[in-house]
Amino acid sequence: MGKSKQVGNHKNGKKKNIAKTWKTKRRTKDLDQIHSDMIPKNAAKLLKQEVDYDVTGFAQNYCLHCARYFVDLKALKEHFKTKVHKRRLKELREEPYSQAEAERAAGMGSYVAPKKVEVHTQQVEENME
Amino acid sequence: MRIEKCYFCSGPIYPGHGMMFIRNDCKVFKFCRSKCHKNFKKKRNPRKTRWTKAFRKAAGKELTVDNSLEFEKRRNIPVKYQRELWSKTVQAMKKVEAIKQKRQARFIINRLKKGKELEKAEAINEVKKNIHLIRASHAGQTKKLEEKMVQKLAEDVEMAE
Repeated sequence: MGKSKQVGNHKNGKKKNIAKTWKTKRRTKDLDQIHSDMIPKNAAKLLKQEVDYDVTGFAQNYCLHCARYFVDLKALKEHFKTKVHKRRLKELREEPYSQAEAERAAGMGSYVAPKKVEVHTQQVEENME
Repeated sequence: MRIEKCYFCSGPIYPGHGMMFIRNDCKVFKFCRSKCHKNFKKKRNPRKTRWTKAFRKAAGKELTVDNSLEFEKRRNIPVKYQRELWSKTVQAMKKVEAIKQKRQARFIINRLKKGKELEKAEAINEVKKNIHLIRASHAGQTKKLEEKMVQKLAEDVEMAE
């Protein structure tokens, strides 16, 4: 269960200051937010965004489950094959944790085991131009 | 005033303790101490973190389904103060708590019984496997042979007579 071993922290400076990545202003989406994104109505909106020049890849290549933008379709497809993405899908296969569950765990009512949710990688349309 | 439950570890949050985080979509997260808050910031899953109540319940370490757990609940209905009701409730709370403690303790004892059985079986198995260390497999064989010879001799003598 414990913390996974950190590997390769010498050359990539990203993980140099981990405390900074936990700051509220750098907060990334939580799992329950992604679960609400996965509702078809919200998902359709996120997968077809308008062109925004401030966002990576003009907001055209978005991974729904990892809440990340990619430069182009190729990078996005490459990302689907990575461990990060697969791990994220696995995490999402359980119902999101909530305050209600915390209270049930504390003895306020019987504890109900989390339900399973089916999650699949989003479909990418193949338009070769 | 309410004693809230911690989002991460499900422990009680008494007034003046812990902290509250409000995400930019207005969802409220309450934490009993900085330990829980830090773990939340690291995006740890309470179901996978060994020391939380959620883990213990999800992993079947503690009693999860029982009628004694159904008393304490968030009701969101204000009750007008009645002295009799109040005193009765306090009495009932003590009784319920005692019953709950007993049942939870019994659950854990029953859970640990399995391990004891396995331990015993393992010990028996070990002795069976390594019995040659205690008693050589050929121990006592010479004595048996001697006895047999003596018997045969006696029989022979009898036959001769």
